[in-house]
Amino acid sequence: MTQKHVMRFEVIMDAGNGAQKAGDILIKTLAKSGRYVFIEPIIPAEISPPKRTPHSMSGAIIRVADFEISNIGSSTDLMLFEHEILLDRRLEDRDYEQNSIVLLDLAEEKRAKDAYATAIKKAKDLGLNVFTFHMDDDSLAHIKGLNGNGKNMYYMGMLASIYKISKEEMVAAIRSTFKKLSEEKLTKNIAIFENGYKNVSEILSDTFEIASAKENLTGEKILLDGNTSLSLGIIDSGFKLFAGYPITPASTIMHTLARQFASYGGIVHQAEDEIAAMGTVVGSYYAGVPALTATSGPGLSLKQEIIGFSMVAEVPSVIIDVQRGGPSTGLPTRTEQTDLFAAAFGTHGDGGKVVISVATVEDCFYAPHVARYLAEKLRAPVFILSDYLLSASYKVFDKMKTYQLDDVNDISDEILDRFYINRLPDTIEMVKDNQATPGELEKMRRVTGLNTDKTGNIVYTSDSNQRSHDVRNEKIHHVRRALKTPEIIGDTEGDLLVVAWGSTRGVLDEAINLARKEGLKVSGLHLKIVYPLPLMLKEVFSKFKKVTTVEAAYGDPLKVTPLATMLRSETLIDVTNGLATASGRPLKPKMVLAKIKDLV
Amino acid sequence: MTTTQEQEQEQAKVTMKDLKASDPRWCTGCGDYTILVGVRKLMVNNQLQPHNTVNVSGIGCSGRMPHYMNTYGIHSLHGRSIPFATGVVLGRPDLNVFIHSGDGDSLSIGGNHLLHGISKNMNCVYILFDNQIYGLTKQQTSPTTRKGLPTQTQPGGSMMDPINPITFALGLGASFVASTAEWMGKHFVETIDAAFKHKGFSFVHVAQRCPKFNPAAWDYQNAGWMEFLTHETGVSVEDRLAAQGKQVEHDPSDLESAFARAKDVPNVFGLFYKEDKPTYDGIIRERLENAPKKDPSKILDGYLI
Repeated sequence: MTQKHVMRFEVIMDAGNGAQKAGDILIKTLAKSGRYVFIEPIIPAEISPPKRTPHSMSGAIIRVADFEISNIGSSTDLMLFEHEILLDRRLEDRDYEQNSIVLLDLAEEKRAKDAYATAIKKAKDLGLNVFTFHMDDDSLAHIKGLNGNGKNMYYMGMLASIYKISKEEMVAAIRSTFKKLSEEKLTKNIAIFENGYKNVSEILSDTFEIASAKENLTGEKILLDGNTSLSLGIIDSGFKLFAGYPITPASTIMHTLARQFASYGGIVHQAEDEIAAMGTVVGSYYAGVPALTATSGPGLSLKQEIIGFSMVAEVPSVIIDVQRGGPSTGLPTRTEQTDLFAAAFGTHGDGGKVVISVATVEDCFYAPHVARYLAEKLRAPVFILSDYLLSASYKVFDKMKTYQLDDVNDISDEILDRFYINRLPDTIEMVKDNQATPGELEKMRRVTGLNTDKTGNIVYTSDSNQRSHDVRNEKIHHVRRALKTPEIIGDTEGDLLVVAWGSTRGVLDEAINLARKEGLKVSGLHLKIVYPLPLMLKEVFSKFKKVTTVEAAYGDPLKVTPLATMLRSETLIDVTNGLATASGRPLKPKMVLAKIKDLV
Repeated sequence: MTTTQEQEQEQAKVTMKDLKASDPRWCTGCGDYTILVGVRKLMVNNQLQPHNTVNVSGIGCSGRMPHYMNTYGIHSLHGRSIPFATGVVLGRPDLNVFIHSGDGDSLSIGGNHLLHGISKNMNCVYILFDNQIYGLTKQQTSPTTRKGLPTQTQPGGSMMDPINPITFALGLGASFVASTAEWMGKHFVETIDAAFKHKGFSFVHVAQRCPKFNPAAWDYQNAGWMEFLTHETGVSVEDRLAAQGKQVEHDPSDLESAFARAKDVPNVFGLFYKEDKPTYDGIIRERLENAPKKDPSKILDGYLI
């Protein structure tokens, strides 16, 4: 048995065969026993792609540690595959190390002897340790009795045994997860699990263990993914209407709200298209009912016209954008951080919006509070940029504090602190004096996308348009001035500063800490509110010899990435795009570390 | 639409003067002036309180309506009046909502929204200002432009047959479909009055003059070409017009007959169809009220491991 501080394993199966469920049960059990866990599901963009094809790859990547972890890490120590096609496909992602372990089920080998041999040879040539296995006859008979279901139970048993996860606790978790199954089916499933647990030592004698972290055994723990956390945050922050149109990977926000929102007095409106969803948000907010939408990729492009209207008409709106790979329809179920410009500058004409990003599943819960606060104070559109990685990644963590926010002025300092922003001034000048809500006597507020003067009447005079720009920009300047020095990982001076935003915080944090342990004078800076940028940034940057960024975006020596471009233009400092990757896969701490070493 | 009159009886009496806002900037002779006056008359007749009324519009000459009505208002974007109005209707069922939209705004750029607004049957009055041309952008072919009419974009004559807005609405299962003309003051006000009193998406097609870019679209000085639908549950026709035009008895609950009469649109005026149907906003409110109430401070408890 080898004691470890951190390890990563994965179970990869054909879509629909239960790999995600297996991942859920494994991490719940690990977390209950005090380990820190992080899970990244692998989900195909299609629903049920034909089985035994590369498109059918579905699974769960699980990282476990005896210390707090914030990302999925660099590579997998052990991978379990249902068949050879998935092995072959997954090797292409290069998420392994020399000597990583591969466990391969030979169930399909009879009908694909050559393909199996080729895939195994490929894995071995790459330096992986391949172990093959057959399920025992008893398990195969149970699986037949369950109409082909239950393979995931066997694999779960194998992994539980290899990683020294309590068998009793696993069985309890299986029982609670599948409590709707008949006792007969449940018994069969558990029997398969136990067979896997028992038989694995015949093919792999190594076992590994992560110690429980004592401090992680106290308090109530919750299991949440980014999108569910956002949905619950929407409810807690006092929104009362959600309008959306189905789009991957934002749809699950609408699904969660559709099941729960009404119990807290909220309406879910499935609009006829992305544009309509945005229009309904503005209509609702105009009528005094806090509203927001969530979208992704192409949906953001479609909403832009009304986002501009929200800004000019001074009707608040909140837009969640769960970024996916682009441009165009791109990669629906892969991750990227490339909507920064589309959010900050997307609508035609020139006008500021506020862009908040989220680094963790916990941030997702509180971002709606901040977004609503800023949108209503500024009476302007505010974005929350999440991304696919965060939307689908699960984490177990301490149950968070809820607030039931009603009046945005009551927002807690703790929430504002989390996003590195101070409270805005009590009164902020608007282009139009009249900001009344229908129902208020004698106010009769009328809004338009056309330029107006203070009275709200349409005016095309040169002075009045200049004034409208002044006032709108001053709103953004209020945010600029309220922004505190962002989070700095490490010292405030040194040889290299690495800047990141959004979900890459975990990777940044891990890479910086690794580099510092090696004695490098490197620090990290993470931005939560990413537009506008805080005023002291130039000063912070100037304490470092070099400044670079880490982004899940495309960049090359002639094409600067979005964040680096923005930082350069705002600070006039030569910020480079140090690590830019648009592979759709999460960035790896080791890649960042290697780049840091190059640059220092 | 239904009224919130009971609670408003206590409030100040609404007069035509109260409903004036900034001065209209439409061309002389534009039919929008009479629509504006007609909508104000409806409000006075029903004593609709301005502060509980929202006029929503898209872009185009019709889009300016909210600016000239001293009520709450949203002058939204081209074709998007329905999405904005949906937000108001869903969030605030206590408000009176009127939507003003032109033929291009309704049937071209906003076609998808109109389709869904009608089929969702959300509670509002929808007034389609049909001058058979794009006015504010200066004389381009619109979805209702008659075939052959030369325009800036189709100078050799508009190429396609116009869309029939009445058939469109009927085909989508509209719960209230009527056609009127802005120059027929009494018929117009009576039609929007019936539309306002109907609970659901009340679709009112209005023939509207555009003296500048499409003066020949509607012959408003004669009524000989007009066919009036008459019924005791329909809209009455002024004697002067009735004497000139053709009168056809049509029961507004008869959908088959409505489709048959709609074939002669845009020459047919009156109430085509009316039916009581569930409204989208009503269903949403009902579900909201029936949902089991949960303690918001325990929102995370369902996710404990």
